[in-house]
Amino acid sequence: MRWGRWARWGFTLIPVLGLAELGGHVYASHRAPRFDDWAAVRAPVEALKQPGDLVVVAPPWADPLARRALGDALMPLRDAARPDESRYPAAVEISILGQHADELAGFREVARQERGKFLVRRLENPAATRVAFDFVEGLRPARVDVRGTEPPLTCPWNPSARVVAGGLGGHPTFPAARFECPGGVFFNVGVTVIPDQHFRPRRCIWSHPFARGEIITRFHGVPLGQVIRGHSGMSWFVERERKGAPVTLTVRVNGDEIGRATHRDGDGWAAFEMPLGAHAGATEAQVEFAVSARDYQHRHFCFEADSR
Amino acid sequence: MTQPPRSPWVDRAIAAALALGFVALLLGTAGDLGYARDEGFYFNAADRYAAWFQLLASDPRAAVAPRAVDAAWSVNHEHPAFIKSLFALSSHYLHKKLGLFAMPGTSYRFPAMVLSGLGVALVYLWGAAARGRVAGLVAAALFAMMPRYFYQAHLACFDAPVVTVWMLCAYCYWRSLRDGGTLWPLLCGLTFGIALNTKHNSWFLPIVCGAHAAALELRALITREDHEEPRRRALAALGAMALIGPPVLIATWPWIWRDTFARLREYALFHLQHDYYNMEFLGVTYWTPPMPRTYAPVMTAATVPTITLVLAALGLLSAARTRLGFPLVSLAARLGLGDSIAWVRSRIARPRRPPADPAATELLWFLGIAAIYAAWLSPKTPIFGGTKHWMTAYPFLALFAGTAFAAIARRAAIALRRAGRDTVRAHLGRGPLPVLLLAAAVIAAPVVETLHAHPFALSAYTPLVGGAPGAATLGLNRTFWGYTTGSVVDYLNAEVPQRGTVYIHDTLWPSWEMLIRDGRLRRDIRGVGTVAGADFALYHHEQHMLDQAYQAWVALGTTRPAHVGGLDGVPVVLVYRATRLPPAARPTPDGQPP
Repeated sequence: MRWGRWARWGFTLIPVLGLAELGGHVYASHRAPRFDDWAAVRAPVEALKQPGDLVVVAPPWADPLARRALGDALMPLRDAARPDESRYPAAVEISILGQHADELAGFREVARQERGKFLVRRLENPAATRVAFDFVEGLRPARVDVRGTEPPLTCPWNPSARVVAGGLGGHPTFPAARFECPGGVFFNVGVTVIPDQHFRPRRCIWSHPFARGEIITRFHGVPLGQVIRGHSGMSWFVERERKGAPVTLTVRVNGDEIGRATHRDGDGWAAFEMPLGAHAGATEAQVEFAVSARDYQHRHFCFEADSR
Repeated sequence: MTQPPRSPWVDRAIAAALALGFVALLLGTAGDLGYARDEGFYFNAADRYAAWFQLLASDPRAAVAPRAVDAAWSVNHEHPAFIKSLFALSSHYLHKKLGLFAMPGTSYRFPAMVLSGLGVALVYLWGAAARGRVAGLVAAALFAMMPRYFYQAHLACFDAPVVTVWMLCAYCYWRSLRDGGTLWPLLCGLTFGIALNTKHNSWFLPIVCGAHAAALELRALITREDHEEPRRRALAALGAMALIGPPVLIATWPWIWRDTFARLREYALFHLQHDYYNMEFLGVTYWTPPMPRTYAPVMTAATVPTITLVLAALGLLSAARTRLGFPLVSLAARLGLGDSIAWVRSRIARPRRPPADPAATELLWFLGIAAIYAAWLSPKTPIFGGTKHWMTAYPFLALFAGTAFAAIARRAAIALRRAGRDTVRAHLGRGPLPVLLLAAAVIAAPVVETLHAHPFALSAYTPLVGGAPGAATLGLNRTFWGYTTGSVVDYLNAEVPQRGTVYIHDTLWPSWEMLIRDGRLRRDIRGVGTVAGADFALYHHEQHMLDQAYQAWVALGTTRPAHVGGLDGVPVVLVYRATRLPPAARPTPDGQPP
C-alpha cells in the first residue's frame, strides 16, 4: 500500500532534517563577509562617493565593519551620528546579505558596483535641501558665546578641558573643547553624541539647563536660509522613564523669538522647524538657542540645528 | 517488547565516560573564553568563603562566631552558597595547594564543569534507564551539544550546575516512584536541599513533583487503577523534600544560620522583586514590563538546534498519544461520551492500556519543561538572562528527543529488515550500522553548531533564523556579560603601550583581573572605568549599550574600531584606539594604516 510504504520509510525525514540543518549552518555561517573582507569595499566606495555624499551600511549591524575598513575620512563622526539624511545630496550604500537601508528608501540609484559579497550603490536624494549654516559644525569660540541668565554668568571656551565620560549608564562624553559654565561639569556646552530612542547616534550640542533661567548659546554672523530646523533629545536612558520635567528650547534671531520647541520625556529624537519670517535670507544674523526647564534634575538636553 | 537485561555497570561506565569526555572538552576549550560579568562576583565571593573555610579548619570555634560567619558569607548573599563554596574549595585546594590548573580562573570554573559533566551523564542514565541505551546516548549528546548550554557549562556560575542538581532531584523523585524503598526518597530530600542551596530555580521542583503526584492521583481516579503503592512512594519523596530539603539548605549556607527567616525572606524578595535589566528582542530593548510573551519560545527555537527540538516534539507527541489516549477514553466512557468520540478513538487515541510505568516518566519530563516555560508566559517575568533561566528544561527536551530517536531507529531497523529477508538492506537492518548512521546524521548539526559557536556562544543562533548574521539582522541579543574581552586579549597584548589604559566596558573588574592572573593579559595593561583619557576602549555590543561606543567616539576621537571580534562576520566586541596614540606597529589585516 502506497501510504504504508511512506509511513514505513518516514523515519528518513529525520536524518534528512539533521543534514539539512548542518547544510543550513554551513551556509548561514559563511554567508556574511569576514571582517577582513571589508577592505574590498574601499575601492568601489572611493570610486562612487562624491564630496558631501553619505556612506550608509545595510544591515546596520555591519556599520562598524565599514567604519573599520573605510576610516574616519570616508565615514566621519558628523555622518555616522547625523541628525537625518535630508541634507545629503546622495548616499553610497554598502549592502550585504541583500539588505538595503530603510532611510534611503526614497533615493534613486544612479550607479552600482558589485564586489564579492558586497553591493555598493550610489543613490541620489531627490529631496536634498541645501544647508546654509550648521550650528553644530559652527560651535567655535570665534563665532559663539555662552551665558546663563539667573544669575547672569558667562561660560568661557576651554579648548583643552578634561574629557569626562559617564561610563555605564552615565552621561555622554564631554569633549575637551567646550564652553564651561560655573556650577559643575554638567553645565557646559559642547558637541557630543547621544543615543536616541532607537539607540542610534545623534551628534548634538549638549546644553544642560541651569536651576533657574536660561543657558544661552549665541551664534554671531550666521547666514540664514528660510527656516531654522533641528532636533532635540536626551540620552534615551534619561528620558525613557518619563519622569523628568519638559525642557524648552527657545530660538531668537537678532533678538526676535522665532519659535519654541518643548521636549517632553519620551519624545525621543524630535524634530522642530521654525520659519525665519523677515529674517529669512539674512547674511549675518545673531542666533540664540536658550534652554530652560522648571526642574533641571537629570535634564541631559542636547540639540542640533541648521538653517536651510 | 521485552528488553534483554542490561548490566548497570555498563551504563555506569558509559555515563562516566560521557562525564569525563564532556569535562575534558570543557577544560580544553576554556582557555580562550573570557570571564563573564557574574563570574567576577563569584570569584570575589569564593575567595571570601575560602578564607572562612581555612579559618574553619584552623579554628572552628572562631569560624562559627557570628561576626566571622557574617563577614564571609554576607558577600554575594543574594545567591546561595553551595556552588560558590565548591569554587572556593577548588581554587584553594586544587589550584593553590595542588597546582592542578595552568590558570587560576579554571580552578574556579572546574566544579561547574564537573557538575555539567555529571549532568550529561545523568541524562544518559535517565534516558537509558527509562527508554534504553540508544535513547540515553542520543539524549546525552543532544543535551551536551546545545551551544548556549555548552557555553554556560564552562562558567563559574550557577546556571549549568543548577541544571544538573535540579535534574538530579527530579531523577531521585522518579526513582522513588519507580523503585520504592527509603534510599531514593532520602536522596530526593537531600538533593532538593542542595538544589535550594544552588539557585532559586529550585523553587520550581516542588511544583513539578507536586503536580506530577497530583496528576497520578487524577489518572488513578479516571482509570480506577490501584494507586496505593504509587501514592505512598510519591508522598514519601515529597515528604522527604519538605522535611530534608530546608534543613540541608540551612545547614550548608552559613549566612542563614542567624536571623534565618528574615534572611531567607530577604533572599526570596531579591529574586521575586528582581530589577529588570535591558535585553534586546527583535530589535527592541525591553527594560520594564510588559515583557514579550514570545521571548522564551522564540529564543529556544533560535538557539537550540532544530533537529533537537523536532525530535523532542516528536517524543512528546508520541508520549502524549501513548499515555493520554487510555485515560481520556476511560474518562469519556465514564462520562457517557463513548459513542461521540468513536471517531477520535479510531483515529488518534489508543484505547488499549499503555505499558506500565508507575513513575509516569514522560509526564514528569513534560512537567519539567512546561512548568519552567510557564514562568515566561507572565509579562512580568524578566528576560534579561537570555536562555539560561530556562535551561533546567533542556535535559527533558533532550530526553524526549532521545526517546524519539530510539523509536525512529527501531523503525529504521524494522523497515530495513522487511525490505527482504536476504537482501543487503535486511542484513543492515539487523546490525548497528543504521542506528550509527542515523545518530551521526542527527547529532552532526548540533556538534558542529556548538563547537563552531565557541567562544561566542551567546552570539550564536541556529540556521532557523539565519545563524549569527540572521539574528543580528532580526535584532536578537548579540552578547551580554562582557565576557568577549577574552577574545581580544591577543590584540591588546600586542598593541597597548606599556602601562597603557583600556576601558573595560561591561567586563567586571574581577573578571578583567582574572585574565591578568591567568597570564592571558599583560600585567602592565591598566583597566579603567571610563573612556575619558583611555588609550583603548572596549565595546561589547548590546543595543542598550551603544552609548558606550558613542562615548568612545567622542573621547578617543574616532568612529573607527581598530579591532573587531565576533562570529561569522558579525561584530560582537570592538576595540577603539585613541587617535592621539602613535600608529600601530603592524598594519591592520586590511593593509590600511590603523
